[in-house]
Amino acid sequence: MKQSGTSPLLQGAVQDLASGVVSALRSGDHARAAAVPAAADGEAGGLALAAVRVLGADALLPSTLLHTPPLPDELAVFRKAVETYPPGAGAGPTVVWSHWAMRRTLRRLDPGHADGPDEEPDTAWLEGTTWQLLTHQLAVLAALAVPGEDCGVARAAGQRPVDVARGFVRAVRRRDWRQAAGAGRWLTLLEGVPPTLGLENGLDFVELMGGQDPLVELQVRAARLTRTGAFV
Amino acid sequence: MSSTEKFTEELTGIQSADIEAALDPAEADGIYRDSRECAALALFKGGFGLLLSPPTPRPKKG
Repeated sequence: MKQSGTSPLLQGAVQDLASGVVSALRSGDHARAAAVPAAADGEAGGLALAAVRVLGADALLPSTLLHTPPLPDELAVFRKAVETYPPGAGAGPTVVWSHWAMRRTLRRLDPGHADGPDEEPDTAWLEGTTWQLLTHQLAVLAALAVPGEDCGVARAAGQRPVDVARGFVRAVRRRDWRQAAGAGRWLTLLEGVPPTLGLENGLDFVELMGGQDPLVELQVRAARLTRTGAFV
Repeated sequence: MSSTEKFTEELTGIQSADIEAALDPAEADGIYRDSRECAALALFKGGFGLLLSPPTPRPKKG
């Protein structure tokens, strides 16, 4: 499913990057399948950097979930993307939170990197929002759904597991596979999810129907790794 | 500044707007299932029953 307002060139680069992440998650060894491309100059380098910024913290998901240190080149490109594309003035909360998630990932994987205070953006925009919008926003910020990582968005999701479950079902019914996969990934982390949801089979179905999209496959695979505890 | 750098800067300028759009997308339009996919849901391991429940009624006007 294409996202409106995004250049096809960038969409393609993000999908390529997501494919690399999926391969690395599959192989379980990012050294054999580096997800983030090594630094490049010129047009290709600029595009790759932009793709890393769009995929956000998930660009280093294999290192996060499999506890393997990122390659120096991967880390350098990731750091450059963080530095090159800070949220602009008036950026939406998902843009701000996505950047915060990247900085947090950088601090965890590269402790020597200091980039100022770790203050969380606010979550006011999620308070009292409808379950449909909540699910949409959480799916956009699915990179924040990482085991053992606490943040304001995760706490907001944790307070409304039933609403996220409703949103997951709605997304499947609307055939919005990206949203369904992102919501499913969150649900694997939340307590109080109704067992009648059938999340395991639901994720299988999302993968079956939307898995040809690497962005869907990435979320489903992340959800499975989280659920099976492979990240431990 | 070389022509390559200038081109990259221009490209990056375009991408900044694209990046913000990609990171803050509107919800995609829904596409609802056809009867064949409903059947697939029914057969799919039989464990995803919630999706097969009838849709919630539309609110009445007025």
